Amino acid sequence: MHELGITENIVSIVLKHGEKEGAKKITKITLRIGELTQVVGDCIQFYFDQLSKDTIAENAELIIEYIPIRVRCADCGSEKEASNYDFTCPSCGAICTEFISGREFLVDDIEVE
Amino acid sequence: MKVDVLENILSVNEKLAEENRDLFDKKKIFVINLMASPGAGKTSFILKTIAGIKDKFEVAVIEGDVASQVDAEKIKAHGIPSVQINTGGACHLEANMIKNALEHLDLDNVDVLVIENVGNLVCPADFKLGEDLKVLILSIPEGDDKPLKYPLMFAETDVLILNKIDLLELSDFDQDKVKDVTHKLNPDLRTFKLSCKSDEGVKEWVDWLISRIDEAI
Repeated sequence: MHELGITENIVSIVLKHGEKEGAKKITKITLRIGELTQVVGDCIQFYFDQLSKDTIAENAELIIEYIPIRVRCADCGSEKEASNYDFTCPSCGAICTEFISGREFLVDDIEVE
Repeated sequence: MKVDVLENILSVNEKLAEENRDLFDKKKIFVINLMASPGAGKTSFILKTIAGIKDKFEVAVIEGDVASQVDAEKIKAHGIPSVQINTGGACHLEANMIKNALEHLDLDNVDVLVIENVGNLVCPADFKLGEDLKVLILSIPEGDDKPLKYPLMFAETDVLILNKIDLLELSDFDQDKVKDVTHKLNPDLRTFKLSCKSDEGVKEWVDWLISRIDEAI
C-alpha cells in the first residue's frame, strides 16, 4: 500500500547514498521486502520509472527480493514457511509465534558508476 | 561498484515516531493509536473510554479524518481537548502529522492521549506514531472474515475490541472463527467484547486500560 510514497522514499534514499559516493549514475537498486508488508512490486516499478526521471537513478534496474514469512515454533523449535498466513506448527500443531523473516522493508544496496 | 545501503524504507516515519515517543516519555503521557474501518464505532468508543477514565486521568484526543471537524467537535462537546487533523486525501496518519498536532495541546496537562486514526483497515498498520498501545475495533456488522482479509492489521494490534455485540443476534458473526484466526495471527492479542450502545463489556475494558496506564506512567 502507498507504493507512491514508498517509492518516493526509495528514490530519496538511493539518491542520498549515490550522491555521498559521488556517483554519476545508479545502475542497480536492490530492495529487500518481506511478504508481510504486502507491497506490490509492479506499482513500485511504475512509480520508480516516473520519479527517477532526470536523476542519477533514471533507468536503474530495480530488483525486489521478496522475503517469505518464516516462523519458528516456540514449543518444539520447528520452522516453516507460513504460506497463506497459516502459522500452525507442522510437527506439534502449536502456533508458531516467532517471526524469523517476512517483515523486511529496506533498500539493501545500490550499484553505481 | 556496489554500495551497501541497508536503510529501512520507512525510516523517516520511524525516526519521527521515536521522537514523538521520547516526548511522550518525558511528559509521562500514555498514547493509544485507535484504528478501525469507517463506521466501526471509533469515536463512540473513545467517548465511552474517556467517561470511564477521566476521573483518574486527564485525556486529550487527536482526530484524524480526510475532511471535516465532525469528530473533534463531538469530543470537544464533552469538554475534552481535541485537535482535528485533516489529511486531505491521505488514508492514514503518520508521525509527522502527530508531531504537528501536539503543538496545539497543553502536554503538561495530559496523562492519556487517544489518537483516532483515519477509518481504514489497511494502511495505519504500516505507520508508527509513537504510541504505547495499538487498539483495533472490529464491529459485528462488518463480518467475521476481516482478520483473514486484513492480516497485517490484526497481527500488529495489541488489543482487539469486538464492538456492537448488541447486534450479534441479528447477524451470522462467528466469534469462534475470529478467535481462531486472530489467535493464529497474534497469540498475545487481548480481546474485549463490548457494546458502546448498551454498555455491556465496557467496564472490563476500562478496568484493564486503567491498570495498563498505571503500569506505564
